Amino acid sequence: MTDGLDALTVIFTEFYYWITVVLMFLIHVGFCMYEVGASRYKHHQHTLMKNTMLIPLVTVTWFFFGWWIYWAFPTGPGIAPSIMTESSGLILGGGFGANDLANPTSSIMAVNLNDHINGVFWAAFLLFSWTAASIVSGALIERITTFAFGILAIAIGSVFWTIDAAWGWHFDGWMVKLLGYHDAYASGVIHACAGGFALGVLAVLGARIGKFSSSGEPRNIGPRNPWLVCVGLFCIYTGFWGFYAACNIPIFDLGPEYGMEGVTFYTATNIYITPTTLSGITLNFLMSLAGGLLAGYWVSKGDPFWTYSGGLAGIITASAGNDLYHPIQSLLIAGVGVWVAYKMHYWVERKFKIDDAVGAVAVHGYAGVVGLIICGFVLWGYPSSGYGDAYAAINPMGMIIGAIIMFGVLGFLPGYIIAKILHAAGKLRIPREVELAGLDYNIMEAAKKDEKAVSSASR
Amino acid sequence: MATVTNWVQHLTTDTDSSTDGIQVAGEIYPMVGTEGWLLLLGVIFWLAWHFATASGESEEQRKLAKKSPGPNAHKNNIPEW
Repeated sequence: MTDGLDALTVIFTEFYYWITVVLMFLIHVGFCMYEVGASRYKHHQHTLMKNTMLIPLVTVTWFFFGWWIYWAFPTGPGIAPSIMTESSGLILGGGFGANDLANPTSSIMAVNLNDHINGVFWAAFLLFSWTAASIVSGALIERITTFAFGILAIAIGSVFWTIDAAWGWHFDGWMVKLLGYHDAYASGVIHACAGGFALGVLAVLGARIGKFSSSGEPRNIGPRNPWLVCVGLFCIYTGFWGFYAACNIPIFDLGPEYGMEGVTFYTATNIYITPTTLSGITLNFLMSLAGGLLAGYWVSKGDPFWTYSGGLAGIITASAGNDLYHPIQSLLIAGVGVWVAYKMHYWVERKFKIDDAVGAVAVHGYAGVVGLIICGFVLWGYPSSGYGDAYAAINPMGMIIGAIIMFGVLGFLPGYIIAKILHAAGKLRIPREVELAGLDYNIMEAAKKDEKAVSSASR
Repeated sequence: MATVTNWVQHLTTDTDSSTDGIQVAGEIYPMVGTEGWLLLLGVIFWLAWHFATASGESEEQRKLAKKSPGPNAHKNNIPEW
């Protein structure tokens, strides 16, 4: 960089994404607190370790192949041609956005004086991947093996959500072109997908011992530490600010990008490179949080767990269109999503005996699906892209199909199939005796012995 | 091993004379050109971790299941340091 203004733009963008990554780390802090707070004392340490270890597992696999998948699969492959290569095959080389940039052996996947963006952009997406895996983690506590969860975390965090992001969360994605799919802040690509994946795993994993009575009535296994759960959710809200910022490109000249001769128009854009503002999405983020909290408090009759979860579910519901909605639309859409998610959670629990320990399928999966469907109606007719007539406009049918792909095809099905394989190998669920005794039994027993030895010592 | 041995020389060496200005070689990490081998080492480490920890977890749970202390036994093991 030899030109001062270019350098300022590049280094501002680099620093912008760097800050979003640090903020998004709070999502994971929050998930750890939330999950440990929801688990029983005898499972605490293993629950914490299970969630913590998804960080390195998803990170290394995101480096090895996750990032590569995102840049290789926008065409399907074989479904719609790329606007960069004009081929519908895998995108494997050449030009901006081309996949060789994300190859783990590429020289810009390291310290490189000629590139300031790839690493921070990779990291922003990595934090989204952690989130996807962490959503699944909470639902499965107290009975899944750490080994099985590691495999599942890699599958959702570095493979399946990445494919759906390439398809529907990429300026060149086939779902954007053919369906008019629009999901600015990932109602579907992260939340519906991870929620569906969690449901698929839960269907195979089964309920915790004691969750259902012999007549099939669900019993409440309440959070052991509601305060830790609530503070954890506060951290997740905070990290979600960073997530919203990370989904934007902070400064972009759309004039030459859209082929408008002689036009210069600098703006922030969303992931599809259509214009929005950080200011506008801040209004919508807060109003959807407010709508979710109000609806959560209302529908759960003031239950803190569901009120806090409602705040999160509200943001998730409105996220698909929060780059364009009016703030009051965000408020109301959030409220509808929370109501549906809450009702669906208890209906599915009773009807199908699904034990979702933290309501992850509801808060992320059902709210995400509702958000996508509503977005199709409210933004009906908006262009999904600025790159011309090859792209369908946003429409309800495209968004409903998109919701099915996100929740069902790339969420539920892979989760169910991988869980079935792990179950068949005898690796999915911990032994019954261990579940009863508590995953931490050996650690606690050793700690008690240590305590006795220390307290009886005189020197 | 060092890719850069003199910063002044590195930042003034033009790697592409057909483009205006000095085009500096961007890669400054050690052992440029061995990225494929580094990737292989990383993948081996990752897979080895799964095998090592999975067998440890299974063994620990097998022993605990055999002992079968019951659902309330942990309450006797809560330390009060």
